Amino acid sequence: MRRRRWSTRDPLVADLEAAVGAGHVQAGDAAVHLYSRDGSAIGGGRAGVVCLPGTAEEVAACIRVARRHGRAFVPRGAGTGLAGGAVPCDDPVVISTTRMTRILDVDIERRLAWVEPGVVNLDLTRHLAGTGLHFAPDPSSQQSCTLGGNVANNSGGPHCLAYGVTSAHVAAVEVALPDGDLVVLGEEEGDPVGYDLRGAFVGGEGTLGIATRIAVRLTADPPEIATLLLDFPTIETAADTVSAVVASGIVPAAMELMDQRVVRAVEPHANAGYSLDAAAVLIVELDGLPAGVAREVEAVTRIAGAHGADSVRVASDEEERERIWKGRKAAFGAIANIKPSYYLHDTVIPRTRLAEVVAEVNAIADRRGLIVMNVFHAGDGNLHPLLVFDEREPGVLEEVFAAGEEIVRLSLSVGGVLSGEHGIGLEKRQFMPLLFQPADLDAQRVLRDAFDQDGVANPHKVLPTGASCGDVQGMTRLPEGTWV
Amino acid sequence: MIRGDARTGGLLDLRDDALAACVDCGLCLPHCPTYRVTGDERRSPRGRIALMRAVDGGGMEADEEVLESIDTCVLCRGCETACPSVVPFGELMAGTRASLGRTRRPPLRLRIGLAVLVRPRLLRFGSRFLAVLQRLHLLPRRLPLPQRLPLRDPRTPARTEGEVVLFTGCVMDAWQPDVHAAVEAVLEATDTRVRRSGDSAGCCGALHAHAGMDAAARRQAEQVMSALPGSDPVLVDSAGCGAALREFGVLLGTPEAAAFSARVRDVHEWLADRMSSLPVALPGDRPTVIVQDPCHLRHAQGVHADVRTVLAPYADLVELDDEGLCCGAGGAFAVLQPELAGEIRERKSAAISRAATRGRSDLVVSANPGCALHLAAAGHLVRHPLEIVADRLDREGGCVDVG
Amino acid sequence: MSGVHPGDIEAFAAAVGTDDPVCVRGGGSHWMLGGEPAAGVREVVAPSGIAAFDPAEMTVTVGAGTTLVDLAAVLVEAGQEVALEGPSGATVGGVLAVGRSSLRRGRVGAARDALLQATCVGADGRLFSAGGPTVKNVTGYDLCRLLVGSLGTLALLASVILRTRPVPEESCWLQGQMEPAAVAAGCHRPATLLWDGARTAVRLEGYREDVEGSAESLVAELGLEPIEGPPALPPHRSRWDGTLPEGGILEVGSGVVHGPEPLPVPVPAPGVAALGRRIRDGFDPTGRLNPGRDPYRLVA
Repeated sequence: MRRRRWSTRDPLVADLEAAVGAGHVQAGDAAVHLYSRDGSAIGGGRAGVVCLPGTAEEVAACIRVARRHGRAFVPRGAGTGLAGGAVPCDDPVVISTTRMTRILDVDIERRLAWVEPGVVNLDLTRHLAGTGLHFAPDPSSQQSCTLGGNVANNSGGPHCLAYGVTSAHVAAVEVALPDGDLVVLGEEEGDPVGYDLRGAFVGGEGTLGIATRIAVRLTADPPEIATLLLDFPTIETAADTVSAVVASGIVPAAMELMDQRVVRAVEPHANAGYSLDAAAVLIVELDGLPAGVAREVEAVTRIAGAHGADSVRVASDEEERERIWKGRKAAFGAIANIKPSYYLHDTVIPRTRLAEVVAEVNAIADRRGLIVMNVFHAGDGNLHPLLVFDEREPGVLEEVFAAGEEIVRLSLSVGGVLSGEHGIGLEKRQFMPLLFQPADLDAQRVLRDAFDQDGVANPHKVLPTGASCGDVQGMTRLPEGTWV
Repeated sequence: MIRGDARTGGLLDLRDDALAACVDCGLCLPHCPTYRVTGDERRSPRGRIALMRAVDGGGMEADEEVLESIDTCVLCRGCETACPSVVPFGELMAGTRASLGRTRRPPLRLRIGLAVLVRPRLLRFGSRFLAVLQRLHLLPRRLPLPQRLPLRDPRTPARTEGEVVLFTGCVMDAWQPDVHAAVEAVLEATDTRVRRSGDSAGCCGALHAHAGMDAAARRQAEQVMSALPGSDPVLVDSAGCGAALREFGVLLGTPEAAAFSARVRDVHEWLADRMSSLPVALPGDRPTVIVQDPCHLRHAQGVHADVRTVLAPYADLVELDDEGLCCGAGGAFAVLQPELAGEIRERKSAAISRAATRGRSDLVVSANPGCALHLAAAGHLVRHPLEIVADRLDREGGCVDVG
Repeated sequence: MSGVHPGDIEAFAAAVGTDDPVCVRGGGSHWMLGGEPAAGVREVVAPSGIAAFDPAEMTVTVGAGTTLVDLAAVLVEAGQEVALEGPSGATVGGVLAVGRSSLRRGRVGAARDALLQATCVGADGRLFSAGGPTVKNVTGYDLCRLLVGSLGTLALLASVILRTRPVPEESCWLQGQMEPAAVAAGCHRPATLLWDGARTAVRLEGYREDVEGSAESLVAELGLEPIEGPPALPPHRSRWDGTLPEGGILEVGSGVVHGPEPLPVPVPAPGVAALGRRIRDGFDPTGRLNPGRDPYRLVA
């Protein structure tokens, strides 16, 4: 099928086609519809035209064409983001990196890989199978999210507890800047020369330019892994155990908490071996050299016992370990089978305050007649309270948003922050003034303006602008599904 | 949430809960072969569902761009396996194609091809004609045809007695009769008497359903069912046909059809439960085979593990490292979308090459004729799993030890 | 040690003021790096003291003028440390402004990964905060990483929240005549690998049994020998350009080489330099913060 329909009608489309080839520019109704959304399902956005460049130079060319035509641009990876970061406002050029999927170079000795931004997170780790190395950030969407998206969102995942989020694993990044120039930020090894522009770029949510090549650091596979499954009589005892483990000086590879509602939704499908009677289930993964792991297993077991754990089980083999994790990562799918819609924030709170905050989150939901399900990265205090609901109930959406805002305010009141891994995007920018003073936001604006002098890169995202594009209140569709 | 029967009542009239179940998470994307090779949201399951919604009730016109999105789906259903919300994508796509099929006709060459499939004698005659052309080197090599089409009428004398039915279908019967013979030999080695479904049952109608030719698909389903009354198991050695037969219940929506579908087993699935009745392998070198999972075994029927169970006593198995991504055959897809099918196949070929290097063998086994032909057209050596087993049965040596 | 008070931070902002050029003095241990402050520039000193140490949370809030030694003394009582390293007298703010990571970065991570939140005085004299108090945070832009290594040219650090970590139970140094890759392959996550062209020195950290076990196997299988501490590092720290200078020692994987002579400072690409200039101009339009200093002249 030829796509000649649009080739000459619109000069913007014609110029983009000249930049990336006719087959890689889309301006039809279907494309505009599909590229107006991302994983957040925040409505109200509208793509102007979509292009799929195949090289770094083509990405830069797309930016220059957009600018020449007075258009903004919006970078996009797999579109799995949860905060509307890839939802386009005001007919911009959407630049999708999904054709740029090459793993360019893997240097085993230096533990470094250069990849294109469209490489899927899990594909890189699969590619490294047998080398003894892996890419540490493992967001639950890792089977489909791209590394370019990980860089834009500074993505996390369960194992970021011990290994750090994406920024700690990106050595250098080639960026197509908002003025259409290509620059390399950062160094393959060591601290940056001059300002840490790489560090500033990571987590920029596409407002500072587009990553076109990424040098990622690779992490050695641990020689020994122990995965513990712990059952608790109350969610508070589980949360207190998390706080106590952190306080004991143990840094687990991952520490994930699921409440009973989640466990009961997951277990029938996943057969992960979770106890249906436990009020909360905790997954603790410990890794390193054998003796240390053995000591930590003993210590965690002791701490959990002291906090009232009903049982502690250590996965006996790789297969059991995989089942335990599969259940955790399938949690959201199982929830989708109970209620058609859910909404969540991903605030982070001090790890010493987990028990009281989770109890209060549940109380907020109760007061509003909502069901909340907790499944979250407990080890770093990163909450994911899922408010599940059926949008056909009148007025439920207002209650859900109001509860969401209460949870945000509660988290900030105990010294927390707005987002641990999902980012701000469109969804949370109106909450930014709750955490930051005007001078704080001004400083952030200085950084953005230095990268993007004319405000053409993913406008309206991250910082509050007063514009109404894609406001959560203005959603045309419900936030019917998200992923953590 | 996806169990309700209410229809949307929109342009496509799909099941409301099925259409609403997608939460746009995008976990399906890398499991979709057409998205994998294009990076194009319009070629993804998430995009296709969003377009179904937009066309069904959102006022979007089913224009060329939308139809191309729908038509380029291979229907491999890899997305269903990946979906955490268990969206019944195959059902949605079949319903969409059926609804759209009422207002437009599939391409002429497809209609002719499908018409031939349901006429066994014409198909066999045509095949012999093609076989002659092939021997005279008058056919392009790239056509997805067997490397040596049978010159003779492949029919063996049909047995009318037997405790199980072997479903022989259309293309496979005409083009790959050796496979049916091998399957029969393996089944009979377990002391099972086999009768063939033959011409009276004919084609399963899967390709008609894929093409949105709903009425023709239903007709074939009725024909198959009336040709195979009773309660004997219906064993299928073609993954695509097996998946279709198993969905007669959904397609026709009658208790009779559901009862028929319940009789259907993939032949590997059936054998996997009877391993202790299979003869042991002949002594000597075991062949090494690369196992390719047809989508209709892995994603539609979920019985791909049984292929391994059946093969394991007779061959060393090498796995592909591509998570069961579709090879691009997709029934008539390879013919209708040759460019996409070719690009998708390149990924599979690369995975086969990697496996061949690891396992030091380039012999591929595939339990679906479409995949076998599509891969063979790219130069791969492909056989049916039970052909390997049939060659290796030691009828003098006792039975397989399953302990 | 007395804690740093909000009043101290306000007073620091007042001292920085809004108009004239100022430079901030920490311990003075890295005073020559990245250029000397212009002559006659007024000096200010950041507040010192530990405002809050929460061992259970593994974070510490500390005045930027606090010395590493004073901070370490408090942290070690709870068996914790921070991933910052500097000569005696070095301050938290000074080490962060210079941005050099610890010799132990293979284990403790980069210096910039330790900074969770920074409260700073901007060029306009206003206080602002970057980052957040929690150990995980993607709220807004990552100004913290930008501030680390900026030599106080964007804003002056007043108070910071740092991530702490457990002090390793055991550590040891070993050395042997072989390539670093061979040593790296023989142990899990070494803290440091040093290579002088003939010998590799390695620092192991962790649980006692693990360190002892790894050391024993390195001795038995690769013939390494225990040494008291790291080999003496030559005086000049430079960015590694791919070749080991005569008499130099390479910090493997960290892009740093220690040599008898300084190596030339790499020149940033024009686009990168321009971006850096725009950032500096944006934060400090009149160039009043630490004039004379330039992160692009900082030799690794």
